[in-house]
Amino acid sequence: MINLRDKGAEFWERSNRPVRVLTVFAIMAVVAALPYAGNTFLQTPVAAFDAVLVYPMGMFILMALGLNVVVGKSGMLDLGYVAFFAVGAYTMAILGTRTGLNTWEIMPIGIAAAMFAGVLLAIPTLRLRGDYLAIVTLGFGEIVRVSALNSEAIGGALGIAGVPFPPGLGFEYQLLDQKYFFWTILVMILLVIWVIRRLTVRRPGRAWESIRQDEDAAELMGVSTYKYKIWAFVFGAAIGGGAGVFYASRSMVIAPDNFTLNTSILILACVVFGGMGNIWGVIVGAAILGYLPDRFRFLSDARLLLFGLVLVVFMNLRPEGILPRKKREKAIVKKGSGA
Amino acid sequence: MAKTILNLKDLTIKFGGVTALNSVNLELKEGEILALIGPNGAGKTTVFNLITGVYKPTSGNVFLGDVAIDGKKRHHITKLGIARTFQNIRLFGDMTTLENVITGTDVRNKVGLIGSILGTPRSRREEKASTAKAYEILKFIGIDEYADRLAKNLPYGVQRRLEIARALGTEPKILLLDEPAAGFNPQEKVELAAIIKKIRDAGYTILLIEHDMSLIMGISDRVVVLDFGQKIADDLPSVVQNDPQVIAAYLGVPEDAS
Repeated sequence: MINLRDKGAEFWERSNRPVRVLTVFAIMAVVAALPYAGNTFLQTPVAAFDAVLVYPMGMFILMALGLNVVVGKSGMLDLGYVAFFAVGAYTMAILGTRTGLNTWEIMPIGIAAAMFAGVLLAIPTLRLRGDYLAIVTLGFGEIVRVSALNSEAIGGALGIAGVPFPPGLGFEYQLLDQKYFFWTILVMILLVIWVIRRLTVRRPGRAWESIRQDEDAAELMGVSTYKYKIWAFVFGAAIGGGAGVFYASRSMVIAPDNFTLNTSILILACVVFGGMGNIWGVIVGAAILGYLPDRFRFLSDARLLLFGLVLVVFMNLRPEGILPRKKREKAIVKKGSGA
Repeated sequence: MAKTILNLKDLTIKFGGVTALNSVNLELKEGEILALIGPNGAGKTTVFNLITGVYKPTSGNVFLGDVAIDGKKRHHITKLGIARTFQNIRLFGDMTTLENVITGTDVRNKVGLIGSILGTPRSRREEKASTAKAYEILKFIGIDEYADRLAKNLPYGVQRRLEIARALGTEPKILLLDEPAAGFNPQEKVELAAIIKKIRDAGYTILLIEHDMSLIMGISDRVVVLDFGQKIADDLPSVVQNDPQVIAAYLGVPEDAS
């Protein structure tokens, strides 16, 4: 199979600035035009294509990017990521229906609430690694869901209905034409990519990377593993929370059923399928895994069989994901003479 | 006499019923190269693990200057000025050579997550300074031509030297080298000895675990010998070399002679 990651990286390194800028704008234009592609072969049979672009595709990309910081960059297996998404969504639903605050005003509150939940999860789990950490995070995800299910004050199993749409910003968000929702989430995704890329090449990125590769060595080299593991959880939680706020505001109705373990696993699958630690891979993976089930909805229950088959076949062909993490060395390597 | 910068006092550690170190006293003088030798299982690496905070002593203390550092967090001890290498190489394999060293230099940096996202002037300044410093260290150790290679793809000898470079990145006062010459051929050992001397001459104090006697005799100012968790000798290399107790520890004692 051709090595897409290396081809892409080579193209990027060969190009000069104007070519790079042009490439970025061309890709963004194509992606932004996607809501108009509804009548092509991309059309999803049941749900409207523009709605599928928002959820699951856009939301999955956003969440997969957040989870990738925890799992892909820092190497901590988190099976309860949906909890942060739920905290964001419930914050939006509760405040949106009971106060006069609008979506944009609730957004920072929802993100803060999710970050707080991130700290709550991080502190007791810091000593755990690997499988043990995975089990505790799995439990955390279920605790959040079951708590929501059993709290009549926030709707119990019925959830919360009538969550308001975001107020328009010179345009109106519409239920039947979701291109504005899509473009908004596109902006959120770009913002998250920008932040993650900054972190990756700087001190926090190195700290996370060193923790993933050898936690003990990292600590002995002076990395405050305690602090950076908390930050990884909190940063990932912030993205999940932000996605949750927007999700609740778009869907108008949320219920505990939207936040099951299944979703956590699916987001994790997006990360692994796309390529752990590589944000471009994660984006492609999440887009594909978000899209496929809706594309094949005409197969009814058999679509899940097909979905599973795609996962199995692909993970066999590309065990490290579609675009694996950086493995190649920079193009300009001075000749080593051997030690 | 130079002043003592690292002082191990009555250091004892027990793992279950096994006493790995029994009341070991050790003083490290500023600017010296002290070699720690002893047969396998004598407790040499355990000493390193106690100094760097991997283990907490059952009793006794580790003083850095006047500060007791036993019980402090590992990354905090590194920040106070003690850095080490590992007997079995533990580099960050998926990072480049340069990134490995920069990760070491990060312990002196102050910028946090928010500053890094915003790209504050301090963040830019620190990133730039760290990169420059890391390059300088790679040049100093003589492996700068490998700067952009991934650590896991480096030749074995370069990996060993990168371990030293990464430790130097943390700007330590004391450098702990755990068998830096393991697996080296004689030529590489000579080169390594030169590097270690160069590091000492640059103002670092070095505590060294090593098995190769000719290397130790060539570079160390003082030799401490451990056997079964006890200190059995602490003297000049030439004296230790002829100490009957040391020879007995290494070669064993004939039954009729004991």
